[in-house]
Amino acid sequence: MPLIPWLGLDHICFKVTLFSTEMRDKLRKWREDNFRNSEQIVDVGEELISEHGSKLGDDIWIIYEQVMIAALDCSRDDLALTCLQELRKQFPDSHRVKRLSGMRLEALERYDEANKHYDAILQEDPTNTAARKRKISILKAQGKSTEAIRELNEYLEQFVGDQEAWHELSELYINEHDYGKAAFCLEELMMTNPHNHLYCEQYAEVKYTQGGLENLELSRKYFAQALRLNNRNMRALFGLYMSASHIAASPKVSAKVKKDNMKYASWAASQINRAYKLAGRGTKENKCSVKAVEEMLESMQITMS
Amino acid sequence: MPIQLTSQAYCKMLLHAAKYPHCAVNGLLVAEKTKDKKKDSHSEPVLCVDCVPLFHGTLALAPMLEVALTLIDTWCKENNYVIAGYYQANERTKDSRLNQVAEKVAARISENFSESAIVMVDSSRLTMSCFEPIVLIYDHHENKWKSREVTVDSFEDWSEAQKITSALLENRCYENLIDFDNHLDDLRNDWTNPVINKSVLDLC
Repeated sequence: MPLIPWLGLDHICFKVTLFSTEMRDKLRKWREDNFRNSEQIVDVGEELISEHGSKLGDDIWIIYEQVMIAALDCSRDDLALTCLQELRKQFPDSHRVKRLSGMRLEALERYDEANKHYDAILQEDPTNTAARKRKISILKAQGKSTEAIRELNEYLEQFVGDQEAWHELSELYINEHDYGKAAFCLEELMMTNPHNHLYCEQYAEVKYTQGGLENLELSRKYFAQALRLNNRNMRALFGLYMSASHIAASPKVSAKVKKDNMKYASWAASQINRAYKLAGRGTKENKCSVKAVEEMLESMQITMS
Repeated sequence: MPIQLTSQAYCKMLLHAAKYPHCAVNGLLVAEKTKDKKKDSHSEPVLCVDCVPLFHGTLALAPMLEVALTLIDTWCKENNYVIAGYYQANERTKDSRLNQVAEKVAARISENFSESAIVMVDSSRLTMSCFEPIVLIYDHHENKWKSREVTVDSFEDWSEAQKITSALLENRCYENLIDFDNHLDDLRNDWTNPVINKSVLDLC
């Protein structure tokens, strides 16, 4: 492989020497925010463990776990095994560690063995939700969507408050184009998280996709609600614009509904333009985006009337 | 009319797939608009000069897709491009089948461009060295999508495409690839990917 001259890109991964505290903080932030930036976790985590392992105290165990999972994501079985072995030594009878062993087997596509691990955990502890969810993930990895959906539904009958599970189920339904059931899952999430703008916005997207005037009006309402909860949610803003525009353009609506929706669409359009102008300040490149958006909104105005 | 891919189009598709290995990804392929479209120019390949990465994760929802299609269509008109195709990489590496989402988007594109193609990325064969093309190209014949054989002729310059894609993968340039989802998260993110385009040009 010939030497490629350094491309000089701005954010490309520079090999920056961070202090161990900085590395620790980064890992903690990524853990808390549940980021899946596995390559970065492996980069930082591997160095932290090998160079500064002694300074980490009890934190090292949770870091081993985080780095191990990231290593699986990057096909670094060598690193994953090292972390796993340290955890096994420290916590020999732990179900949490056993689950990690199972995940390693999943990464190696040894699904039958992985399932045996999880079944063993469930024998000893039938309420172990992590093991149950891993079994469902295996079904998903094997492309067995129908079974995954069925198992997840059964799981949710027992663990009705598990938001991660409801969200996963909504995604499985969307992928199967079963928008009605996906909407139901998102309704559950909105009920328990009324201030979460993302659930509102996703629900609106599902309703929009389902189609039909009633669903469009619902979608418009929920895009608007998402905006109320977070006025910088661009998807909600665009969604409000699109749904209101479609309703206004529909031959089935009354003159009043048409007028109201043209008002909403018009407001959304001005907000979109404003957002683009704000974003484009100072950059030459973004001028084309601003222009494209303006033209797009113009062209849609024509179809509405 | 078969499509041909430039190095820029090919590498950006693969970078998109590489940036989100655990997600399905999709995007649009654009070609330069030709002035006269003679009916007998069926053997002339359509050169897809660029691609616009669209989404990662859930691909089967309509509203943002509509926004993207409209916006990118407007951008195409300003740059004398036309949306000529659609690419997709599925969530599971072992699954490179054309699915309903791909068919639906391609049908939309076909309204404006009759010879549109679907390109499925076979992630199971994605390697750093890029020693072989890992795309499956489908054309619409008699109401069905049929795959065509992918050879070096499916590329404007395969060895260049291979060299550039491999170099960008090695340098982890996919970390900087912007798709439409990234743009919706922060409008300053530019889905035309000028930085990556420049790297491609520098490597040519």
